[in-house]
Parts: sequence; C-alpha cells; structure tokens
Amino acid sequence: MNRIGMLAARHGLRTGALAFVLLTYLTLIGLPGRLADLAMPVLAGVVAIFFWLVLRRSPQLGGIYGSLGGTALWAGLLAGGFYAVLTAFFVGLLANGVRVQLVFDKIVPQNLAALYAVMPGVLLSGELSPVGWLRQVGLLGLAGVVAALLVAGERRLRRRQLPSLAALRWLPLLLPFVLLAAVIGLGSPAVTFGGNNQGTIRLLLAMLAVGSGIFAARAARPGGGRRVLWALLAAALVGLPFLLDQFQNSVMGIVFIFVMMGLGLNIVVGFAGLLDLGYVAFFSIGAYVYAFLAAPFSSPWLIAQLQGWGLPVSGPLVSFWLALPLTMVVAGLGGVLLGVPVLRLRGDYLAIVTLGFGEIIRLFMLNLSELTNGPRGLLNIAPPTVGGYSLGNPRDIFLLALAGAALIALVANRMDGSRLGRAWVAMREDEDVAQATGIHLVYTKLMAFAIGALFAGLAGQLYAARQTNIFPENFSLFVSIDALSLVIVGGMGSIPGVVLGALALKGLPEVLRGVDEYRIITFAALLVIMMIVRPQGILPSLRRGRELQEQGGSRADQPSVLEALPDSAGESSLAKKER
Amino acid sequence: MLVLEQIHTYYDRIHALKGVSLTVRQGEIVTLIGSNGAGKSTTLRAISGLIKPRLGRILLDGQPIDPLPAHAVMRLGISQSPEGRRIFARLTVEENLELGAFTRNDKPAIRADLERVLALFPRLRERLRQRGGTLSGGEQQMLAIGRALMSRPRLLLLDEPSMGLAPLLVEQIFRIVRSINEQGTTILLVEQNAHAALSIAHRAYVLETGTVVLEGPASEVLASSQVREAYLGG
Repeated sequence: MNRIGMLAARHGLRTGALAFVLLTYLTLIGLPGRLADLAMPVLAGVVAIFFWLVLRRSPQLGGIYGSLGGTALWAGLLAGGFYAVLTAFFVGLLANGVRVQLVFDKIVPQNLAALYAVMPGVLLSGELSPVGWLRQVGLLGLAGVVAALLVAGERRLRRRQLPSLAALRWLPLLLPFVLLAAVIGLGSPAVTFGGNNQGTIRLLLAMLAVGSGIFAARAARPGGGRRVLWALLAAALVGLPFLLDQFQNSVMGIVFIFVMMGLGLNIVVGFAGLLDLGYVAFFSIGAYVYAFLAAPFSSPWLIAQLQGWGLPVSGPLVSFWLALPLTMVVAGLGGVLLGVPVLRLRGDYLAIVTLGFGEIIRLFMLNLSELTNGPRGLLNIAPPTVGGYSLGNPRDIFLLALAGAALIALVANRMDGSRLGRAWVAMREDEDVAQATGIHLVYTKLMAFAIGALFAGLAGQLYAARQTNIFPENFSLFVSIDALSLVIVGGMGSIPGVVLGALALKGLPEVLRGVDEYRIITFAALLVIMMIVRPQGILPSLRRGRELQEQGGSRADQPSVLEALPDSAGESSLAKKER
Repeated sequence: MLVLEQIHTYYDRIHALKGVSLTVRQGEIVTLIGSNGAGKSTTLRAISGLIKPRLGRILLDGQPIDPLPAHAVMRLGISQSPEGRRIFARLTVEENLELGAFTRNDKPAIRADLERVLALFPRLRERLRQRGGTLSGGEQQMLAIGRALMSRPRLLLLDEPSMGLAPLLVEQIFRIVRSINEQGTTILLVEQNAHAALSIAHRAYVLETGTVVLEGPASEVLASSQVREAYLGG
C-alpha cells in the first residue's frame, strides 16, 4: 500500500473510533431515550455529519480527497466499518454480562437500541447475530462512503468553480431567512409542531437564524452584496425581539449580554493576548455601581449617607442613561487598577493573578455588607426608562443588549484596524521587540485592560437592570470561565465569532434543558470535541486562524510531502478568498 | 553621536558590563566584537533601553538617554535589529515592515521607505504576503534589518546579523549593511564573526567579560595579534 493509502487508512480508522466514542458517550448519558422517536434519524444524522466534518477538516488529507476520490472512499469505508466493529464489540460486552449499568444507569435496552439504530434487532435480543453485525458494518461503511464522497465532491466543486453551480453558492445565504420564516411560522397559532417543545424549537431556530446569518454575511463576497446582507441581518435582529415570547426573549437577552462581555474580553485576550481569568470582576463592578445608583435604599451605608445629607432614599439616584458613563468610568478604572500590578506578568502568571483579582472583587462584594448588603444582595434595581415608559421586560432588555453589543462590536472593529490594534498584535507576538519598535508597552497594555473592563462594566449594568436583584454569587468564577470559553469557542480575536460563541455557550444550554441532569456534562463533551476538531474556534479571525493553523501544521508527525498539495488547509480557503 | 560612559549593568547579581565606554560618530560603522558572553548584546540592550545600567551614562548627541524607556529611545532615532532576528513570525512580511514604522504617521514617506527597503532586499518583495516564520534564515535576517530601517533611524543597532547564516549569505548581508551605511545611516554592529565585521567597519571595540580590552580603527584591530589569536584562528 502506498503512503497516501496508509494515511487514509489511519485517518479512517481514527474517525471511526472517534464516532464510536461520541455516540457511546451520548448513550451513557441517556440522550437517545430523551429523544424517543426522533432518536434513530437524529443519531444516524449525527454519525453522517460527524464523518463528514472530520474527514473534510483533515489538513493533510484535504488534498488527497480532492485529487483521489478512491482514497477518500477507502477512508470513509474504514471509518464506518471500524465504528461498526467497535460498537458490535461494546454491545457484545454488555450482552455477555459486563455490568456497566452499575455506573451508568442510563444504559437500558431502549437507549441502546436507539443508539445502535442501524441494528436494533440484534441488540434487543442480546445476541450478536452475524447477519446483523454485517448489516451494521455495511450500513456504517456506507455512511462513511457518503461522507467521503461529499468531501471529495465539495473540493472538486471548489477547485473547478463550475459556472452552472456557482449560482448555488447563494443558497446558503438564504438559510437565515428560511429559518427566520420558520420562527415566524411557529409563532402563529395556526402552526403546531413538536408539542410542548414548540417554544424550545422556536428558540433554537431563532438562534440558528442569527448564527447562520453571521456565517452567510461573512461568506458573501466583499462589496455591495455583503453590505446588503449585513443590513438585512441587522434588520432581522431588530425584528427578532418582537417575534419571540417572554422566555425566548429573556434567553436571548442574556445571550447578548454575554456577547457584550465577550466582545470586551476578546479585546484583552484575542487582540492583546493577555489571558484574563478574572474578567467577571469588571462585570460585577458595572453591576454593583449601577445597583448603588439605582437602588441606594438596599445599601445600609448609602442610606446613612443620604440621610446625613438630607436626601430622599426611596428611589434611584440617577437614571439608567446617566449611570452609563459612570459605570464605564469606574469599570475602566478597575481595569487600570488590575493592569498596573500585572504589567510585568505574562502567560500563566498573568492568568493566576487575574484569577485572584476576580475572586477578590467577589469577596469584597460578599463581605463589605455595610455597602453591598453582603449575600442578601441589592434589591429592586430600577429598570431603564424612556419618557416614563419602563424598559424592564425581557423584550426591551434583549433590544438594549442588541444595541449595546452592536455598539461595542463597532468600536472593537474600528480598534482592530487602528494603530492601537496593531500595537496589540505586536505586543501579543513579542513584547521586547514591540517595545523596540517604539510601542509604549505600559500604555498599550493598560488600554487593553481598561477598554475590555469598560465593556464588561456596560454589560454588568445591563445585567443588573435585567435581574433587578443582584447577589455576590451572580459573579462567581464561572462567569469568567463562560466569557473566556465563548471567546475561545467562537474564535479568538473574531468579533462575529463572539456572537456565535455566546449563542453556542449561553443559548444552547437553555435549549438542551431537555437533557436535564446531563446538560452540563454533555456540554462539556461538546466543548472538548470542538477543541479537538476545530481549535481555532467556530469563526476565527483571519490572523488568528493562520496562527493556529501554522502551529498545528508544523507538528512533526505530519508528513511534509503533503503540505505541498493544493488546498491542503481546508478551513482557510474561505478566509483566503475573503482577503 | 552616541557615547557610552562607564556603563555597568547587572543581571540580578551577575555583573555583566563592568564599565564599558565607547563612542560612535556620525556616519561610521562601529563594530563591537567578542566571544559568547562578553557582553555585546547586553551593551546593545542597554543602549536601546531594554535594560537599565546601574552606573554610567549613555548620551545621544550629548543628551542622556539611559533613563528613557525603550519606546522613547526608539523615537529618538535608534533602531535595533535584535539578536536571533525576532521577527513577528505569524505576521506577514509586509505587516512586519509596517510595524517597523509604527512610530511614524507620514504615509507617503513610509511608502517611500518601504520601497527603499525592498530595493535593498529584493527577496522581501517576492515574499511580501508570506508569513515571516516561513522565510529562510537569511530572509528573516533581511526582514529584521528591513524592519529596523522602517523607522528611518539615525543609528542602527545590528545584533549578530551573521548568526546561523551560510558564508555566502553573510557576505551578502554585510554588503547590504555597508550600503545602508553609505546611504547615511550610522551603524553599531555587534558580531562574533570578527573577520566579516572588521572588514566593513571603520572602527572596532573588542569586548571581553564585560570590559573593553582593545579599541581602534578596524584595520589595526584586525592586525593585532591579540585578536588574531582569540577570534580569527591565529
């Protein structure tokens, strides 16, 4: 067998093994049982899509699949076949008295049957019939082949740019609008679908519409068409709050508050390369500053002060809008406050110190009970108002979060291309040389911290207004981790990536509520897979994508002959066109 | 133009430079040679402000620059091509060069300087859109020098431009260094490759464990038995 054949074989086997791990995991947590009747088609689809995704992303095989359809088929066949062998072995173990059920109580016949839907009869009888086994091998091999054909076809299509098919490139651009139409449709009383789950499905569709819209707008060729798409997307976003019900709006509201925060953290981590694990500190500073101003009557110390000055303590001191600049200034100062002591720290050390900073702020809020009312929290925080009309309901909060996120995205985008943005890039790459090229390191770092903090403060203020009551435990380490994860998942340094990351990390778990106690672990598994399959994030910034690809691409175990093959870096072909 | 007066530096408690004094005059190529660990790079780092001397003064046109941070020194017209090249490996060649001109705002002049650098190093023009890390060692060295030139420095500090390069490339780089000097840039060249450095320099200083042991016109230093034995293989 030649070298490329060996590679394809190894890759196929690995893909099959990964698919086995993935689906077995899903069974162990009882997902198939939850999905009930939908389990068979959903899981079959998951396998097919999984094969397709893994096969198409392989950088060293990308070129091969493009040029050699036969090799692709061979890898696909192996992937499917190996998956089947592994599952058959696993089922065989179960059938022959290995009691996994002691640990994983979700392993019941109906779950397993759904998982190994391609061979249900075999499983339920508890025996492994040769015919059933062969059928499974055959079916999954077929799935692998289909996936491989898809990959090969996709690449050929891209290479030759067939004119008749070029028009099809526009089809994906319609997806967001189709999804949006579905959201509207599901909202009308005439359409019923999915019973009790209709609301969840609608929410999922709304999130998919936003996400696919961002993809579409990025994928469109630069110029007039893309601008129109962005405009339509913006219009759709503004319309979305009016289509959704209270619960859906409230989920979307929190998603976009996290978008605001993520955009700020993206400046610190993505642009300037400073790993900040205590980012929640600024979020909580923003929330608390607004809470002090809008609900002074919750803070014993503030009450005493106000009474001392003979001021009324019954209502908010300033309006939401007047509080905005104040929150931003205080949070920005907080950023500088953190920045100064850590100026000389890099990498891991910086991460540890910022982690501590986040905790310090939370402990302050918890223990300064004279001022913050401690764990009892600050209550009855006033919502924003416009001309006497209160903007406290979930729809208005979602709209405000949208506006805030759009504003921050705009500012961040301008900064990315600015002098300061270039200074951040240089600093991220090599601090010494950056300094020797005339970059003021102290200023550049502090600006990153301050601007990042300021955006988080803004998000915090909106969060306080949304919650109306805030407590120190709202600002735990997990908020920092969430914010950092969404930046990483979305693609570091990428502004649209942050929106996608927030949808995936803050939105999906709400949709996944059906999986109840396994929600978080499922989610964790998704994250792990994501990081293996696509370490640069869903939608990486152009430069960051390049960086990670280079690191991955130069690993010693990847044969160098293949690097010369055309279009071997599959992910970036889109990005390249965009440049 | 540049005067170092009795510079002492320390890395923690290690006394790296023990009273180094040297002078670079306008329009010269001055080379600082010496073996590993003699303090050559430390001297350059002290000049560019990346480390602070504990004792002594560094004067540029009579003004002390040793208290200034690195980015401020750079703005006074001293630019450095650091040891080991240290290009921004993940940025393109073009972005690397643009960052070299970070302190400047005059777009047309930057454009002109970019052309000048590309004329000096035609190889870089072919590689403009390539990532810095994908260049060969010699090309990376050209990029590092080109990046330093983009700030239009009056004094260019070159730290071991010959490091790790094939003899033919070393010769090429040194030819270019000389032509940069002929175009009016003063150069302080730190080298281990004493022979190559002395062949293009006007004057030389020999550094040994943190002190200057010999100085004078390059031809004299080249002829001195001390140097011949120590660095030129007898």
